[in-house]
Amino acid sequence: MNPHHGVRHLYIHIPFCERRCSYCDFNTYANMEDRIGAYVAALGRELAAWQTRLGSPEPLPAPQPPALMRADLKPTVFLGGGTPSMLPLPLIEQVLNAADPIVPLRHAEVTVECNPGTLLGRDYLRGLRALGVNRISMGVQSLHDPTLRILGRSHTAAEARRSYEEARRAGFDSINLDFIFGLPGQTPAQWEAMLHELLAWQIDHFSLYSLILEETTPLYAQVTSGRMAVPDDDSTGEMYEQAIEILGGAGYRQYEISNWARTSPGDGVIPVRACHHNLAYWLNADYLGCGAGAHGHLYPQRYFDTLAIDDYIRKTHTDALPLAEITELTPADLAAETMFMGLRLNAGVSLPHFADRCGVAIDTIYGAVLADLEAQGLLERDSLAVRLSARGRMLGNRVFERFV
Amino acid sequence: MFQQSKSRNFSIIAHIDHGKTTLSDRLLEITGTISERERRDQMLDAMDLEREKGITIKAKAVHMEYTAADGETYGLNLIDCPGHVDFSYEVGRALAACEGAVLVVDASQGIEAQTLANVYMALENDLTIIPVLNKIDLPGADPDHVAQEIEHVLGLPAEDVMRVSAKQGLGVAELLEAIVERIPPPHGMLEQPLRALIFDSHYDPYKGVIAYIRVVDGVLRSSDTILLMGTQVEVDLLEIGTFRPVMTPTDELGPGEVGYIATGLKQIGECQVGDTVTLAVQPATAALPGYRPAKPMVFAGLYPVESNAYGDLRDALERLKLNDAALSYAPEKSAALGFGFRCGFLGLLHMEIVRERLEREYDLDLLITAPSVEYQVLRSNGDIITVDNPSEMPDVGQIEAIEEPVMQISVITPTRYIGAIMELVTGKRGTFESLEHLDPQRVLLKYRIPLAEIVIDFYDQLKSRTQGYASLDYTLAGYQDSDLVKLDILVNGQPVDALSLIAHRDTAYGQGRQLVEKLRRLIPRQMFEVPVQAAIGSKIIARETIKAMRKDVLSKCYGGDITRKRKLLEKQKEGKKRMKMVGNVEIPQEAFMAVLSLNDD
Repeated sequence: MNPHHGVRHLYIHIPFCERRCSYCDFNTYANMEDRIGAYVAALGRELAAWQTRLGSPEPLPAPQPPALMRADLKPTVFLGGGTPSMLPLPLIEQVLNAADPIVPLRHAEVTVECNPGTLLGRDYLRGLRALGVNRISMGVQSLHDPTLRILGRSHTAAEARRSYEEARRAGFDSINLDFIFGLPGQTPAQWEAMLHELLAWQIDHFSLYSLILEETTPLYAQVTSGRMAVPDDDSTGEMYEQAIEILGGAGYRQYEISNWARTSPGDGVIPVRACHHNLAYWLNADYLGCGAGAHGHLYPQRYFDTLAIDDYIRKTHTDALPLAEITELTPADLAAETMFMGLRLNAGVSLPHFADRCGVAIDTIYGAVLADLEAQGLLERDSLAVRLSARGRMLGNRVFERFV
Repeated sequence: MFQQSKSRNFSIIAHIDHGKTTLSDRLLEITGTISERERRDQMLDAMDLEREKGITIKAKAVHMEYTAADGETYGLNLIDCPGHVDFSYEVGRALAACEGAVLVVDASQGIEAQTLANVYMALENDLTIIPVLNKIDLPGADPDHVAQEIEHVLGLPAEDVMRVSAKQGLGVAELLEAIVERIPPPHGMLEQPLRALIFDSHYDPYKGVIAYIRVVDGVLRSSDTILLMGTQVEVDLLEIGTFRPVMTPTDELGPGEVGYIATGLKQIGECQVGDTVTLAVQPATAALPGYRPAKPMVFAGLYPVESNAYGDLRDALERLKLNDAALSYAPEKSAALGFGFRCGFLGLLHMEIVRERLEREYDLDLLITAPSVEYQVLRSNGDIITVDNPSEMPDVGQIEAIEEPVMQISVITPTRYIGAIMELVTGKRGTFESLEHLDPQRVLLKYRIPLAEIVIDFYDQLKSRTQGYASLDYTLAGYQDSDLVKLDILVNGQPVDALSLIAHRDTAYGQGRQLVEKLRRLIPRQMFEVPVQAAIGSKIIARETIKAMRKDVLSKCYGGDITRKRKLLEKQKEGKKRMKMVGNVEIPQEAFMAVLSLNDD
């Protein structure tokens, strides 16, 4: 057992939903609310098991600007789902108490995903704040009610706005809203109008995802059978460019392919409003994942927990850890992932970061590939880092696939 | 000793889907050759491809023991053979090893084009034919009518026609009796020096070439040293045996018997189908009549997607050739595709099967170009050259005349589709030859039509325009002078030799336009704009533009599930491997076959 551990990021999965959205293929379950109590207890057991195994956290390293590195990140705890806001406050408290010995909350970015459709009374949001939660992420997805219905969302645009404002009034100064573009029936003009409307909300952080039709979802079946149409690649490309232009012009800094943070005093290589938890993924850091189907990364291993809720609960009683699968990683895997995750960031992959993470200079492994991509105009580099060009950002997959 | 009088060698011949395979399965069961426990459908079709497609590709043999009503036990050798027109040469080989043939006709469909072709082949081989109506249990069956048709069209007496439902086992016992009664025993001579005909073969990694033989004269023993008369190769046998239906070793094979020999030979060329096996110590004086080698009709380039797999492809073709005598191949080089082989096939189905077998059995990723036929080109300097690759067609200025192969096709169809068939055939440069009524509702139509037109999509069109009712057979009728031009395709300004095709001048413009339109849809968007053009000589006749790819990035957040992101990238990369880089454009395999499906949409 290590007396100290360097794991500073923790994802906790809450797989419950009131209903499943038509586009969602995450590990989520509707109509299982009666298991919530038992599930939270199980999470407590898993977290305790990890704590026993890992020991106590190392002291925080000193940040080393200006090159973006893992050490620049705050410790993070992220409650994602599913719908974590379905948990009553005492259960949230129970989860956070179990997390604290692994990632001490007082230094951490602590995010809870909230569904604007879950009745957000001010008390609930204030309660979250009182428990040490300092960041809220809401899946608004669209401000067009008919589209929200097609997506199977349980909220309206008006409810989303009210939820957002209540979160503000509850004192949250770091609020992210998720939106999807390329939705059925959506046009670039509608998207543009919605972005302009949202500027007035003074949101701290945007995550904008292009719709991906996942094979197992109802929406996929509707689109492939021709009952519903989604915009073509040219239109979604246009929407993406609109977002870059409109948000960029309004003081938001794009720091990752899908993420924008409101410019704030004190912004450095990492914007103050950026999501440090997601940055941990993009910097290919180690992180724990707890809860049904949650993924964790402790190089040289990756794992995920048992998917089904009841199996998960049972395993926390019987097994040391409720793992479903462990994947062994090679140094080559580590290098590839450091590249294709890191290049998603506008800051790119800094040379010190690559060397720090992979133990070898970037050009030793990728010199030729990088030169080729640079010649194609997809990458740029300076003495500090390699990063996608504006064109490379539109064609990211073409770049990323060169590393796998 | 050998009781030739107790041997019967026969084939089952049928138009595709008339129930030949089901009937074979039933014979194997009733004779106890396979037990109920071993039973599975399509017993003789061992290849995965055969099971998937529900067709027989290779000829095969099986030995059955049958105790007849006279109390005697007979050895029946069933030599199975394919029904599709592409494989008629396999049928011919199988029939040469038999004394009789069971002709299966669907009791509701009646005689089809392939039925006729098969009967002619059986008659050429002097076989006793037992006509059988199958599927008599189906509601649409009209056995009396079809029996009359058989008498009228084939000249086989209606009262000799057996009635069977292979599916339900009805009439199968009676058929076995008829096989014993009507088909003559083999007439080879026991005391003569050994002569055995090789009618098929396959390669076994441990036992080398396994030849399927039918002994005509003399006796073959497992300890013999044999001489292959055609190649003059001498070899000590590793094993001899019969098919029951798996290969089962035996000590000797006598006149009329069918079995296999394991030669240990590693070289394909040393043991050829059609050759005669005799004994090294006491060779026969004259070889048996062999086979006319099957003549390839359709040619296409086969290229490895990964250029370093060229050697693997060569080895695979060499192995496959052993099992598929009709396949021909010669190395060729394409500016667009690199090194590959020009392969000759019997038809499109044969081509598809060869490709699939190479990919599955030899684990190759292949790219195949659009099929072409073989043209005779008279050059201005008086030379006559053969061109089976459109990109090798000389410049227009050097061509005096081009001749193309023409087929005679036979189509049997209900009369109501005559108009539709006429329209199809004339649209494909065909000319009418004759119409013969088989009965008031059905006719036999004959046309002459260029092979190049049949190769494209004729069979599919025929089936769709006649709702599947028409059947087709064809044979080479000769060559004819035609006004043909070479149509070139340019991708990103560069001619792609593998996309060139030969077209008739009158239809070349339309084909060019359709082809570039199709290619625009098939070639994925690249990182830059790509023009696709069709040209005759230096004249551009059609152009389409593939717009540059605007966006290709995975924006979705899969949380910490990096594995999933990675798998998506790997899948994308894998998809690209199936494409060929031509210049700096990625062209998917389907694009090279686009010309085959121009009329699809």
